[in-house]
Amino acid sequence: MNTSTLPNGARGTTAVTVSRPSMQWYLTLAGVVLLIVGSLLSWCYDEGVLGNVSLNVNPGPIQVFMIVIAVLTLFFLLLRGGLFPVLDRLLDSARALRALGATATAFMVAVVIVIALQTSGLANADPGVFVALVGAALITWGSWSLASDPTVDPVSVHMRGWVDILVIVALLAIVLFGAAYALGQEDGTVFVLFLSVLGGVSLALARSGLFSWIRVIAQRHRQVLMLGAFAVAFLFPFTQNGSDANMSIATQVIIFATTALGLNIVVGLAGLLDLGYIAFLGAGAYVGATLSYSAFATIHWKPPFIVVMIIGACVSATLGLIIGTPTLRVSGDYLAIVTLAFGEIFRLAMFNLDGNNGPNLTRGPNGIPAIPDLEFFGFNFGDTHDIFGIPINRFGNYYFFLLVVAAIIILVFTRLNNSRIGRGWVAIREDEKAAEAMGVNTFGLKLFAFAGGAFLAGLAGTVKAHQDVSVTPDQYVFLESAFLLAAIVLGGMGTVAGVLIGATILKLLPEKLRFVSDYRLLIFGLLLVLIMRFRPEGLVASHRRQLEFHEEDTELAEHVEHAHLEATAGSEGTA
Amino acid sequence: MDLFMQQLVNGVTLGSLYALIAVGYTVVYGIVQLINFAHGEVFMIGAFGALGTWSYLLGESTSIWVLPIMIIGAVAASTGTAVIMERFAYRPLRHAPRLAPLITAIGVSVFLQEAVRLFYPGAKSKLPFPQIDVVTGPAFKLGGVVIQRAALFTVIALVICALLLWLFVNRTKLGRGMLAVSQDPDTARLMGINVDRIIVVAFALGAILAGVAGVAQGLQNSNIDFRIGFLAGLKAFTAAVLGGIGNIEGAVVGGLVLGVVEALVTQYTQYLPFGLSAFGGSSWKDVWTFALLILVLVFRPQGLMGARVVDRA
Repeated sequence: MNTSTLPNGARGTTAVTVSRPSMQWYLTLAGVVLLIVGSLLSWCYDEGVLGNVSLNVNPGPIQVFMIVIAVLTLFFLLLRGGLFPVLDRLLDSARALRALGATATAFMVAVVIVIALQTSGLANADPGVFVALVGAALITWGSWSLASDPTVDPVSVHMRGWVDILVIVALLAIVLFGAAYALGQEDGTVFVLFLSVLGGVSLALARSGLFSWIRVIAQRHRQVLMLGAFAVAFLFPFTQNGSDANMSIATQVIIFATTALGLNIVVGLAGLLDLGYIAFLGAGAYVGATLSYSAFATIHWKPPFIVVMIIGACVSATLGLIIGTPTLRVSGDYLAIVTLAFGEIFRLAMFNLDGNNGPNLTRGPNGIPAIPDLEFFGFNFGDTHDIFGIPINRFGNYYFFLLVVAAIIILVFTRLNNSRIGRGWVAIREDEKAAEAMGVNTFGLKLFAFAGGAFLAGLAGTVKAHQDVSVTPDQYVFLESAFLLAAIVLGGMGTVAGVLIGATILKLLPEKLRFVSDYRLLIFGLLLVLIMRFRPEGLVASHRRQLEFHEEDTELAEHVEHAHLEATAGSEGTA
Repeated sequence: MDLFMQQLVNGVTLGSLYALIAVGYTVVYGIVQLINFAHGEVFMIGAFGALGTWSYLLGESTSIWVLPIMIIGAVAASTGTAVIMERFAYRPLRHAPRLAPLITAIGVSVFLQEAVRLFYPGAKSKLPFPQIDVVTGPAFKLGGVVIQRAALFTVIALVICALLLWLFVNRTKLGRGMLAVSQDPDTARLMGINVDRIIVVAFALGAILAGVAGVAQGLQNSNIDFRIGFLAGLKAFTAAVLGGIGNIEGAVVGGLVLGVVEALVTQYTQYLPFGLSAFGGSSWKDVWTFALLILVLVFRPQGLMGARVVDRA
């Protein structure tokens, strides 16, 4: 066992020493081979278990997952063997291997149990499943005693620009195909398995330090990443071949994400907890509905949609200003309650303005149905169009349009974040009194956060009204505000990527996991509690945020300072 | 005049319910400066605890003698929930930034609602609450004013609970420890007070009163469902702020004031001039209550009786 420490221990001192691989290394390699071979063999006589795993050399989806894990393991093994010395300095392959081994083993054990349960006993299991299980166990065993090799801080590593960009492109391509693949899964079990494998692999990659490297790359090439992500989102409908189901989910996700980004300005940047944010989306949606060509619209003025969008956004922003004024005197928890009360007032008002209990503006609980599709210059959003022979249906049309809206919002968000205003917000968030003493116009900035966030939500709301076809008060309840907040908290406050990921997870999972749909909210509540307990800074945390939640972490503090200096030096260099 | 008196009675009834729940917000806030957003759910679970005790332990008898056991069942359910919640959700976050416990509270609130909806048999729709002899039945008439028996039960429950609470806080060692912790937790700890225990006691006290409120709510409305906690919780929070958060007497007064204001607003906004009457009556009463909440938070965050906790605004 201790033979491994000798060659690997030397690794940290000089940059790279290609050493003769140890016994553990070969053990792990044997595990990889067994895992691949096992996964290519049949796992079970029964065709109905876990998709179809009953064929030789024709692996089912789950077997493919295992092969992917095996290939990743091989990659890290080769890294350790000294194939890519540069990467080896960045990534801690031992930790990654351990996580991969644990994932593979846990996964194979689960598969064996599922086979045993679903086919009444292990008699139906084929040798392949045991070969794969032994392979996974070998990987775990072999990698367990590998010594962690020291890595360098990715901030201090500069590679050629094209390498960085290549990594970004590869990453985005993986995201695109991963998303298309995951959405293509009809089988709920396979979907869950895919997610758990994804979780395990992500854990392994995170432990290897890949993500912090990618974060540094992403910070260096922000524009490339943004453009690339936009391109991926743009290409997504073309992978769906006109299928309605996934595009409708995608459209919902993008509306949700757009709204969450608006809320992120208020909560993430300015640090003002807003529990009534859904009201701003609702205000936009109601404006969109009442000014639409719907036969039930209560205002008989039909301006072009661009005008409606602006009106909706302005109405929303006005409400934002109104609800923002108490921030002059109220902050913290009290502000949260003020906004919550405001959200309830909005919902009740929309519910009551039905002609019996007040002027007829919203038709009360019935809402405004039959809102026609948008039409720009003769282009009707309800029609299906062919682009390069791939049909783009109604949802696809809205998806593209919303993508543009989302892009605008992301642009506004990032520009604000890097501006004097954004720095003012960060100052307010971290210490309001100190910020005020330093001459930051705290009240003005807080008002602006509310109004700006509301403006963006109103914009999204007008489109949502058309996409949803009808607008009713029960779409804008408190729970929706909580969902938006959860998307931000889950993803990482104050970040764009985090919020997009959080919003995707929160909208996508309930749609795909229909068989747990009844327990959806229960899981949601539990999730909120667990995130706050174990990772309050969210999945994708900005370092500064992370520091706010872990004040005693001096190493992190130094890192943030270092990265900050690096960033300012970089921007001065280009200026 | 009868109408006014009637609305006053209705208001006091409603207000007693709010007051019983509001104490929970105020006690916890006074000690840990946390808005226990899930307290409304504790109240809801109290109501379900009473119903569960009645249908599974008491054989659905409606004699008056089952009432104390129902109350014990309600209090057990609500207190258990509150103590577990404190231990597993809030305690690990005691030194986290303020945003964290508030978001946790929202999560706990959603979780508890859903847990009741999914796991209490039949709770997906409204459930009838037992009509117990003596405390429900024909109403009393006092002149032209109708007083429901359940209303009387609520008011009496509030009086008893408030008295016992006052005695507990001011006359027992544990209660005085609570006062000490709310004034200065660090010094209290130095004086040998177990702050963790005091916090649990604070949660439990609030939950006991919420459990009683759950029974009162069931008797008054004759049915309960898993959603009752949200609105009641928000109103009770309004009451707690109105009275001055952290101030136990304030919570009782605030609850009563809010109840009366709500009843009067419901009645008299119907006579507003200039077409404003359209915004009156029972369908708008919650809007007025929330508007009142916002106004109080903005213009008098220390409440009517003065908050015990300084500098929250």
